[in-house]
Amino acid sequence: MTTDIARMRNIGISAHIDSGKTTLTERVLFYCKKIHKIHEVKGKDGVGATMDSMDLERERGITIASATTAVEWADHSVNIIDTPGHVDFTIEVERSLRVLDSAILVLCSVGGVQSQTITVDRQLRRYNVPFIAFVNKADRVGANPLKVRDQISEKLGHRTVMMQIPIGLESAFSGLVDLVAMKALYFDGPEGETIRIEDVPEELAAEAAARREELVDTASLFSDELMEAALEGRATEALVRAAVRKGVLSRQLVPVFIGSAYRNKGIQPLLDAVVHYLPNPAEVENRAIDLDAGGAERVLAADPAAKTVALAFKLEDGAYGQLTYIRIYQGALSKGEELVNTRSGQKIKVGRLVRMHADTMAEIAEAGPGDIVALFGVECASGDTFCSPGLNLAMTAIYVPEPVISLAIEPVDKGSADRVAKALNRFTKEDPTFRTHVDPESNQTIIQGMGELHLDVYIERMKREYRAEVKTGMPQVAYREAVSQAVEFDYTHKKQTGGAGQYARISGRLEPLAKGGFEFANEVKGGRIPREFIPSCEKGFRASLRKGQLIGFPVIGVRVVINDGQYHPVDSSDIAFQTAAQGAFRQAYAKAKPQILEPVMKVSVEGPTEFAGNVFATISQRRGVIVSSVEDGTFSRVDAEVPLGEMFGYSTVLRSLTQGKAEFTMEFLKYGRVPPHIAEMLTEQHLEAERKKSQR
Amino acid sequence: MTLTVKEELIKRSPLRVLEKSISGGLGRGNVGVLASRKGVGKTACLVHIAADKLLQGQHVLHVSYASRVDHIVTWYEDIFKEIAKAPKMRAALDEFDELIRRRVIMNFKQDGARTEQVLRSLEAMIVHGNFRAETVIVDGLDFVQAGPADLLKFKEFAGRLGLEVWFSASLKKEDPLFDERGIPYELAAHLGAIDVLISLQHHGDHVHFALVQDHGRLAPQDLRLKLDPTTLLIAKEARPRAR
Repeated sequence: MTTDIARMRNIGISAHIDSGKTTLTERVLFYCKKIHKIHEVKGKDGVGATMDSMDLERERGITIASATTAVEWADHSVNIIDTPGHVDFTIEVERSLRVLDSAILVLCSVGGVQSQTITVDRQLRRYNVPFIAFVNKADRVGANPLKVRDQISEKLGHRTVMMQIPIGLESAFSGLVDLVAMKALYFDGPEGETIRIEDVPEELAAEAAARREELVDTASLFSDELMEAALEGRATEALVRAAVRKGVLSRQLVPVFIGSAYRNKGIQPLLDAVVHYLPNPAEVENRAIDLDAGGAERVLAADPAAKTVALAFKLEDGAYGQLTYIRIYQGALSKGEELVNTRSGQKIKVGRLVRMHADTMAEIAEAGPGDIVALFGVECASGDTFCSPGLNLAMTAIYVPEPVISLAIEPVDKGSADRVAKALNRFTKEDPTFRTHVDPESNQTIIQGMGELHLDVYIERMKREYRAEVKTGMPQVAYREAVSQAVEFDYTHKKQTGGAGQYARISGRLEPLAKGGFEFANEVKGGRIPREFIPSCEKGFRASLRKGQLIGFPVIGVRVVINDGQYHPVDSSDIAFQTAAQGAFRQAYAKAKPQILEPVMKVSVEGPTEFAGNVFATISQRRGVIVSSVEDGTFSRVDAEVPLGEMFGYSTVLRSLTQGKAEFTMEFLKYGRVPPHIAEMLTEQHLEAERKKSQR
Repeated sequence: MTLTVKEELIKRSPLRVLEKSISGGLGRGNVGVLASRKGVGKTACLVHIAADKLLQGQHVLHVSYASRVDHIVTWYEDIFKEIAKAPKMRAALDEFDELIRRRVIMNFKQDGARTEQVLRSLEAMIVHGNFRAETVIVDGLDFVQAGPADLLKFKEFAGRLGLEVWFSASLKKEDPLFDERGIPYELAAHLGAIDVLISLQHHGDHVHFALVQDHGRLAPQDLRLKLDPTTLLIAKEARPRAR
């Protein structure tokens, strides 16, 4: 395995469902391993031949499921990074796109550009990821790779160029013409492992020549040298490749490759293309947030001698114990080295360092910039950044929003309970926006997250990965309470029932605090409240914030100023002042026009323009405010602000209204005031629940 | 009776001067056009008109062909900030969040967005989206590409839904831009679909407003309004000093 950064590739394979992503990934692993085997396991020819395909499937099933797989191709090391199948919450998508440097976009020769292709393309665009296109399934009935290429140009708006043309199509698909080398390629042997190179078939000569000219013309846009050479009729393979590469790296050109993973055709040329046209880690600019400089961005250097910056992007609980996958952006990593987790400030020592291959795990002593490796036994959450001591950078924003929705879950049987606990422990480490606790009143396990879909994904994962079935309650919105008006308070707490009495008086004012949170100010003069009891007052007020009087949700955005009070030399105590503060808060809160706040989500709905009217209607029916709509030909996007409480079940509604062609994302935006009729309903529900509780 | 800060702000707006000159305002069902060369300040004027309508409690649909959505959002924020800078007007800014909820931005790609489709989408927003727009701002429509027939469709739409529609028109031809009556040559063919036509022109270091057509009547008139070069707000023009 090379550590030369120029011969390193970190790629993702992205596709619409059913484009053959899995088959393609399998073939890629297969061919890479094959080469590996031929070099290393001489004389053991029998092994490969006797290996039955089911075994291979199973073995690969494991490797494909892992976060990254390192393979070797043509003296290059290629890390294939798993891209998440679900795109509903941004934190995970962002993480995987942060780790890969480039991608292969897989399309179906029949289906062409489909809705998920558009989503994937948009993500690649957002994160500035260069990519090449692979038009798969050329053996299928109705296959038309050239039409798919036109769709990439028209629907996705990319400049495209054919790198190959098919020899035959559908059941007659037998090979490819490589337009760079102007040779015909056939894939012989039971697994297509032997490439037979021949002259371009006569019947395709004219088309190949025309497409080649188109290729050279397009590539010339990115290289003056090629343009001059082409004019003189001496455009070499190397010049064409270099020019196409420039186009791809600048995201101005998408070269299109053809094949059929299922029929074992066109995979090796695609792997060659990864090496030829996709960037090495040093060719991609990566930025980190400098936590010491107020969040300013820093460009990282893919230099092994620089201080280390690495991102933990995935935790895995595999057959080998707990693994933390990390990508190194700057500097190097070696055994025994000390690193700092910049989120927690914790220091770690690099213990066992491994590289995950297609079929094995290899222990390594060190790894350089651009590399993706795994660490054993490191306590961290995914998304954490590790730096050499002295650096304080973060690869992803450290701000973690508060969860806005909660759900009670209950294991269906005793056996599940342990597995649920295990799963929850893992998920909370992986995803800082996913939280869990046991409600002290109901004794139920509550999970919290950023939206309905977010929690659904984890319920599903519990089932699949941990065989843990749970029953779920109704999703609960995380409401808040706040005051809207400043009021004064003056409260005396007095208690004399034998023994030591309690006495404390405090006065001051309670005000709304626009920025949220809680502030406490002490303006008491002349020792009217002794200094040692001031923290008691603050403690009392803080305790009052945990449960508002309207519906029992936390109170946010409050400033308390105390300016006077009274104490008793014997009867005043810490607890007396805490109690007085709570009494004062109760008294003031009711007068300060308290309000119920609800989480408001920023919702983006994307889909074909023909459904825009339906989308507008769904937003308006949900008390939403449409901020903008952008129409780009047949595709449109609506941005809106909608209360979370109205968004339950939205994905189902949207799917049925738009025949599944529209999709939406949402994230927490702010807390907004609940309209009076809903506030009234919530208050009544709360009172009802309280009544029931007291009757029990 | 004392006026609230907001009422004061509305009453003193230079846009009242404009309304006076055009028979009390553009009016529902009518089409107004601000015409000038590129970069003179049409978008600023349109946003000022929209901000004024929002202050009055109206709903505004802002249709844009050119800019990105985030640019338009910034325009509004800036304009409200400038308006709120006026003495005693700070309170008005507190209402910004509330006001802005009554504005929807709709962005279309210039090429490919046919007027029928644009109008279908606007209607979907107003009807299905339950957005009761009273004023529609259309910024950046290419009047060469969209001929008089397209503008008539907008006019019909405005009449049917009872909307006041303000356009910006970028004049791109070589000088002279205007004929002797002040009509931009490029818009001569569109005149039948335009109720109020105002041109913006550089005069020395100022941008002046000239009324070309008022509710179908050719009525060349200096509006005594200028575009303040620092705030990019429409402002009353000082009376010419006696020489």
